[in-house]
Amino acid sequence: MSAELIVSHLRKQFAVGRPAVDDVSFRVAAGEIVVLLGPSGCGKTTTLRCIAGLEQPTAGTISIGGDEVAAPERGVHVPPRLRNIGMVFQSYAVWPHMTVRQNVNYPLRHRKVPRDEAERKVDRVLELVGLSEYAERPVTQLSGGQMQRVALARALVYEPRILLLDEPLSNLDAKLRLRLRDELRRIIKEAKVTALYVTHDQAEAVVLGDRIGVMENGKLMQMSAPVELYNKPENLFVANFTGVSNLIKGEISAPGAVRLSTGETLRITAPRGKTGDAVLVAIRPENIQLRPNGEGADTNSFPARVIEGHFHGTQTTYALETLGHRIEAIELGTVPRFSAHDTIRVVIPPDHSWVFPQ
Amino acid sequence: MTAETAALVAPREAGRRISFGWLWSGALLVLLTFLVIYPVAMLVLGALTNTNPVVDGFGIYDLSLKNFITVLGNPNVHFALANSLIACGGGTLLAVIIGLTFSWVVVRTNTPCKRFIAAVSMIPLFVPPLVAAVAWSILASPKTGLLNTMIKWVGIDFRFDVYTMGGLIAIFGIYYAPYVYMFTASALRNMDPALEEAAEISGATPVRILFTVTFPLIAPAIISGMLLSFIVMLGIYGIPAVLGAPGDIPVLTTYIFKLTNWSPPLYSTAASVAIILMIVTGFLVFLQQKVVSGRSYITVAGKAFRPGVMNLGPWRYLTLSLAVIYLIVVVVLPTLALIVAAFRKFLFIRSVESLFDLKQYSLIHFERLFDNPLAVRSIWNTMEVGLITAVFGGILAFAIGYTVHRTNAAGRRSIDVISTLPVAIPGLVIGVAYLWAWIGLPGGLYGTIWILALAFIARFMPDTIKALSTSLLQIHKELEEASWICGKGLLGTIRTIVLPLARPGVIAAMTLLFILAIRELGSSLFLYTSNTMVMAVLLLDYYEGGNVGITSAFSLVQTLLLAVLIGIAHFLSRGGADTSVGRAG
Repeated sequence: MSAELIVSHLRKQFAVGRPAVDDVSFRVAAGEIVVLLGPSGCGKTTTLRCIAGLEQPTAGTISIGGDEVAAPERGVHVPPRLRNIGMVFQSYAVWPHMTVRQNVNYPLRHRKVPRDEAERKVDRVLELVGLSEYAERPVTQLSGGQMQRVALARALVYEPRILLLDEPLSNLDAKLRLRLRDELRRIIKEAKVTALYVTHDQAEAVVLGDRIGVMENGKLMQMSAPVELYNKPENLFVANFTGVSNLIKGEISAPGAVRLSTGETLRITAPRGKTGDAVLVAIRPENIQLRPNGEGADTNSFPARVIEGHFHGTQTTYALETLGHRIEAIELGTVPRFSAHDTIRVVIPPDHSWVFPQ
Repeated sequence: MTAETAALVAPREAGRRISFGWLWSGALLVLLTFLVIYPVAMLVLGALTNTNPVVDGFGIYDLSLKNFITVLGNPNVHFALANSLIACGGGTLLAVIIGLTFSWVVVRTNTPCKRFIAAVSMIPLFVPPLVAAVAWSILASPKTGLLNTMIKWVGIDFRFDVYTMGGLIAIFGIYYAPYVYMFTASALRNMDPALEEAAEISGATPVRILFTVTFPLIAPAIISGMLLSFIVMLGIYGIPAVLGAPGDIPVLTTYIFKLTNWSPPLYSTAASVAIILMIVTGFLVFLQQKVVSGRSYITVAGKAFRPGVMNLGPWRYLTLSLAVIYLIVVVVLPTLALIVAAFRKFLFIRSVESLFDLKQYSLIHFERLFDNPLAVRSIWNTMEVGLITAVFGGILAFAIGYTVHRTNAAGRRSIDVISTLPVAIPGLVIGVAYLWAWIGLPGGLYGTIWILALAFIARFMPDTIKALSTSLLQIHKELEEASWICGKGLLGTIRTIVLPLARPGVIAAMTLLFILAIRELGSSLFLYTSNTMVMAVLLLDYYEGGNVGITSAFSLVQTLLLAVLIGIAHFLSRGGADTSVGRAG
């Protein structure tokens, strides 16, 4: 039953201020899980609510499984109840005056499903989310995690074309969140439903999404598979948002080379821009290699001084002074190798450093 | 201070604190017993005797259950009880329909002028019930009612008759809808809109959502508002006295008063019926408290929601016009009726031209009203009673509120419980209880202004304490603790920290008490004498005397007075006292 979702040039303007969603276009293939990731207020929830039909977009089109459900320029607005989609809310939104079964059965009541078939469907979906034994309980007796499973079951029971999830885990405590996160992907994949998932939690996005779309200020900055997002950020915002903390100023001196203000030259594989451009070189702290002083000199190997080290148990973060900048590096392992004031060498990997215009 | 001296001093200090605490709680308990327990006990004893306290003096003889059992079997009592339940039940049903509709319109739709509708929905709380009933009897009495006269001009063969059970239910319903509105509007406002959105996504139509999700979810608020409006209607005297008398529809309150007006007065029968009324009310109050304190469906706390607003399209003008019609029915028509009746020499209106004939209007009714020394005295008496009630009731409420909420004095639980008891005692019952408690005592309070003031203080204590406690609880405990650390004592702290900070709340609570006291009718009925006549009682006298002109003039005077006072109270409390004004009916 899963369907393809196409959003094109979506715009949503509330009464005041800049648009909440600004020219957003993307496509979710049938059966795919796409995560919209971004800081709060970036427009990801508004995008989701436009797809649900709970908000009316200002411009653009949304189509689900080939049916156009929103196209304000042509006056098309299919109400949510006719879109045949499922939605899981941040606050669970399970109805406290009903039992688990009544909650899950509710959507079937409005779809004229014969009683015995409805019963079968409810049983099957409760089993899928692991709540079979709780069917007759009032939902108010459930824990937060169980309530969210009820909400999920309710959204899946009528085999919707698309499942929308609005920060479904953010009201749960940390431990439960981790467990439900892994399970959520299994359930969604098992239900074979197209899913659009909104969150501000990177770890959640990486584990859950087939692809991740990063949003900022109402704009979609990049949408790609998690590995690509972390290894080929398309712009400085995505790089920063995914954890790049080191930025070094320089100027492209030749293809594949950036000259720094201190005189050294960094080799970069596949650089952007042309010779003479002022640029920022972005480097992930995890990708910087640390060597004891005097060990063999490869490409991009520079002397550095340890300012301080912070031991985190399974890893150690170092603040280093090198190339005229203060740089952060992380090394895995339970034994810190260096201490403050040590002079060491750092290797900046040419394959995992990115150049962005300054 | 060294550790040694501290150890020496501490027990003595603590000992003194404890004994002072007991002394203080004891004093409050004695005062509360005097105000609440003693009169209620006398009421119960009165129901169990067949003596007449006026004739036989103070003292209870021939205690037996016989009197009470006779009353329980009396068909007249059954009739009054049945009438009460029918009138209040019907009125409550109507109040729920009106209140729920307006709360939904205000919170959940895009009807224009929502602030106006919200204000309109609360207005009836400020209309004194007696005045409303008088106005509606002028409008819709079967023979001379202004509405009926106008309908006759138009030539429609239909007549309103407000002197019927239907009329009583209608007036109850429209004037007590705000109780339902208050509860349901805030419940709707606090509801997570995602609960309705989830239903929308699930495929339910807007109407189905309303009945399967929205209303079931706010059911506790609906029931709570329902019970409260029922309770208030049950205890009200003015409306059934005005509307029920011509059609001979006695309810419990009017029946009780009739009993004390027979000759010889049947005081012990009245006490028995009053106890029946108190038991019914007490049971309903208990139910209401249970619903209020029970499991609430409003789950996510402290989160501000933007309630989902339904686009009604062109229908939004229909919902707006409903509010306008309500305003006309509740305020505009009654006010116009009172003005016409008060300024017209004769209420008989022959034709449309006559209605606008200025020669028919004069100030004669006002002149005659103020020529009557009793009327002037009643205004002064009312003000005096109001002032005494406000000052002493305010001080007592502050003492109780502070003791209960801010100290760990011994016995503060009992103080809390006893001071809340009057919630379950209708004003009329308080009146009968005070009558029993004081009428037989020679040289006592009966017949003075003070008996009225004491009854009012007791009757409105829960409302006053509630209004005060809100502002007391807003003062953070640490502000007081900081003062103690700085070396101030308990009383010094109250004087320099608590009172200045709570002053707006205290003043507002006193103003509220003043307003409640000057419009109180039910308990005054049994406690006034010709020297201590108060406005509400005299207004009823005028009405029963049949002089519509003076009654209307006096109604206008009282309404104007109240409007000014409520304006002051509103200004002082910035809206805090609004909801309490109407609580006591």
